[in-house]
Order: sequence, then C-alpha cells, then structure tokens
Amino acid sequence: MNDNGLFGQKKTITLKVWRYKPGAIDPPRYDTFQVEANAVTTVLDALEEIKATRDGTLLYRHSCHHASCGTCGMRVNGREQLGCVARLLEQGSDVVVVEPLAAAPLVADLVVDMTPFAAHFTPAGMRLVRTSEFNAEAETPAGVERFTRYEDCIECNLCLSACPVANTNPAFIGPAGLAAAYRALITGERSPAEVFAYVDHEDGVWRCHSAMECSAVCPSNVNPGHKIMALRRELISYKVKRFFKGG
Amino acid sequence: MAVPIQQKSPVARVVQAWFNPLKRSAGFLAFVLMRITGIGLVVYLLLHMVVIGNLLRGPAGWDSLIQTMKAPWVLALDVLLIAGILIHMLNGLRVTIIGLGFGTQSHKGIFWTLMAVALLLLIYSGWLVFTK
Amino acid sequence: MRSIEEKRRSGTWIGQAITGVLLVILLSLHMIVHHFVVEGGLRTYEQVLAYIGNPLVVTIEILFLVVVTYHAMVGVRAILFDLPLNERQKGLITRALTVVGVVIVGWGVFLALWLFRMARLA
Repeated sequence: MNDNGLFGQKKTITLKVWRYKPGAIDPPRYDTFQVEANAVTTVLDALEEIKATRDGTLLYRHSCHHASCGTCGMRVNGREQLGCVARLLEQGSDVVVVEPLAAAPLVADLVVDMTPFAAHFTPAGMRLVRTSEFNAEAETPAGVERFTRYEDCIECNLCLSACPVANTNPAFIGPAGLAAAYRALITGERSPAEVFAYVDHEDGVWRCHSAMECSAVCPSNVNPGHKIMALRRELISYKVKRFFKGG
Repeated sequence: MAVPIQQKSPVARVVQAWFNPLKRSAGFLAFVLMRITGIGLVVYLLLHMVVIGNLLRGPAGWDSLIQTMKAPWVLALDVLLIAGILIHMLNGLRVTIIGLGFGTQSHKGIFWTLMAVALLLLIYSGWLVFTK
Repeated sequence: MRSIEEKRRSGTWIGQAITGVLLVILLSLHMIVHHFVVEGGLRTYEQVLAYIGNPLVVTIEILFLVVVTYHAMVGVRAILFDLPLNERQKGLITRALTVVGVVIVGWGVFLALWLFRMARLA
C-alpha cells in the first residue's frame, strides 16, 4: 500500500482474527494474517484489506470509519476498542489478537448481536439521534452560560463488553443504559419518577460494583461509571425528599 | 489459545469476568480485590467462629490451642488476614464515596493512595505480629 | 416479571455502606483489643474472661458480630446476584444466607454470654 512515506516506517504485524460461522467455521479458530502497518494503519484498515484481497468471508461491522457511529466495536489484545481508531502499531505488541465484543451473543466472526444491548437502552429514553452538536466557537444565546453536551454516547457497546457484571448477568441494565437514564433525567426528557422506576432495582443502578471499566474503555467521553453514581445520588436524594414530604 | 468469554463454560466465564484484571484498569483491579478479599474474609469469619468455640473447653483446651497459633506459618496467615482486612476496608471506603457520586473523576488516584496506605499499615502490623 | 415495587432493593447497598463504615471502627477495635494489647498477641483463657466480664464489652462484641455477619451475608448475596438467577433462586439464596447469618450470630451470642457468665462467676 502506497502511503507516500508520510506515516513513518512500515512494520509487519501478525493479526490473529477470531473466526466462527455456525455450520461453516465450526468449531471456532483463529486465522493468522501478516499485515503491513504504518503509524496510522488501524485494525479496521487491516480487516478491510484482508476481506478485499485474502478472505472475502471475513465478517465484521463498519460504517463511518471515524469513531462517530459506534459500529466497529471489538476486542483488540483483550481490550475493548473501536476498530476504526485502534492503531496497529499502538497495541504494544507485534501480535495483535482481534476478537468480538463480550457480554453479547455471538453471531459470526467479529459480529455480535446488539439486540440485548438495545433492549436495555431504549426504555431509558435515549434519543437515537443527537439533537445538538457541540461547537466550541459558537456564541451562546443570551442567558445561556455554556453549552453542555449530553449525547456523547455512540452506542458502541464497548462499556457493556468491559463490564464484569454484564458478562455474567444479562438482566443488568448495564453502563450505557444507566448512563442514558441519567441523561434522560437531567435533560428533563423523562420525569424523575419514570427514570427511577426504571433503574431503582437490584439489576439496575444497584447492581454496579464500581469497577469503572466502562468509563475506562468508552471512546466517546460518556463516563458511564460516573453517571451511574450520579444517578444513585439523585435517586437517594429523591427518596429522602419524598420520605420527608410524606409522599 | 484464548476463547471469547461467550464460549467459555459457566465457571470459566465467571473467573474471566470477575477475577482477571489483565488488560484492565485500576478500578477493575479494585473490583477484583474487593471480591477476593470479601470471599476470603467470609471464609475466615466462619473458621474463626468455629475456632473460638474452643473457649468452651476452658483454660486447658484454649491455652494450648493459642500456643500452636504462635507458629510462624500461622503468623504468616495472620499477616495475610490483615492484608485482606486493610485492602477490603480501605477500598470499601472508596467504593462507598464513589458509589454516592463523589470523587469519581479521581477514583484511580484514590485507589492507589489507599493501597499505599494499606501497604504501610500492613508492614507495620506485620512487624508487630512477628515481634510481639 | 416482578413489579417495580418488588424489585426495589436499594436498601442493601446502603446497608452495606453503613455497616462497612461501622466495621472500620468496630473491626479495628476488635483487632487491637484482642491482638495488639496483650503480651504475645493472643488472649489466654484468663485474659479473655478478664476482658469479657464487662457488660459494655459484651454488648460491643455482640454488636460487632451482628454488623459483620450482616455485611458478610449481604456481601455474599451481592456476589451471587451477579449471576443469571431466576426469582426462585434469588429467594432461596436470600433465605439460606439469612439462616446462616442467624446461626452465626446465635452461636456467637451464646459463646459471649457463656463466657460473660464464667467471668462473673470467677
């Protein structure tokens, strides 16, 4: 691949990709590919090159290629990343293992079933389309001190995959769903009663054990771990107020 | 060769999800340590309640028992117990504060600081255990 | 599917937090009094009686036992509830741990009061 020598020395990386197709590649295995990588070659770049020229049956999801759509979530050397921004030469090893996300049912190769994720997410009141885009240069209207961006979540599912509880308990709402609930609360999109009814139970906001791995892997600044804790604080404060009001 | 967690047996899945801090960040390590020390301390509680039953045997039974408990290997286990207590207690305070929404942005720093305090206290306690 | 009202269990997390903070004090006290005060670090039978003969001491030790047993049982329950359990299994676990907790506390209270009586008779 010609890169006009603009991105530094090329290196050969051994890519080990997990393969599985029910009935076709079964039992699962790892396929090994040697790929040429420069400083900006991403995992997704490599997968696309492999699919185009070496193995047309390789299955993976992709869309925007710039960390905006959340489609290409996968585990790279055991850690949740978006394939489109996971640079091969930054993985700390000449051998890069690519596997599907955890905590979601496997479909084939690097594709997982996002339905369970969506099931926890949608009732939380998460808007599926962002209604505002943060612009640092924009002047705030009169009376508005600053813009606050609420909808950072790109629904990539990395947080759910990294969560130790979500991996053993599918009933847990999960970091993304709980973060969405918190956003629905503070934007006023849903009433406190509605949001708390959704999250105040042992598979909701109280199932979290503050591993904070969700925030560690989130590629989009959502910080779901913090939002879960803030949601707890709001919930406790709501209950205390209600208790004293006799409600 | 590693297998994705969805394909592991139930036991292997639990071990991988709850007890493997590799490739994970500080908060996850804290979670793993809480779980391991918690389980260890519950086991200790049960053992302890059984052992102190020996007090019913009066001075003859009890005093000879505690002499055996001054053996080096028992003292080493005592230090391990203190380590478990310190880790669980100090990290538990962190979990409580963070769980209420305070300090979440600096939770990693808080964790490492508390573990350093735990280590210092452990060294001091260990010295006391082996010298007193 | 349980109703939302039935699923509300925020109390246990808060209970763990409160008992946890109490244990910082109670457990530290227990450890220091039993292992870092007497010569040799382990109380002999006579030293145990000398200590437990005080009604305040018995009360604090029993309080400590109740708090630590609650924290331990709820902690084990919290770990087990991270598994995919159905309602029947959850109920079973909760009841089983309650029984274990009651047995531990019952045994401990019996021991404490027996030793208290021995101390008073001596």
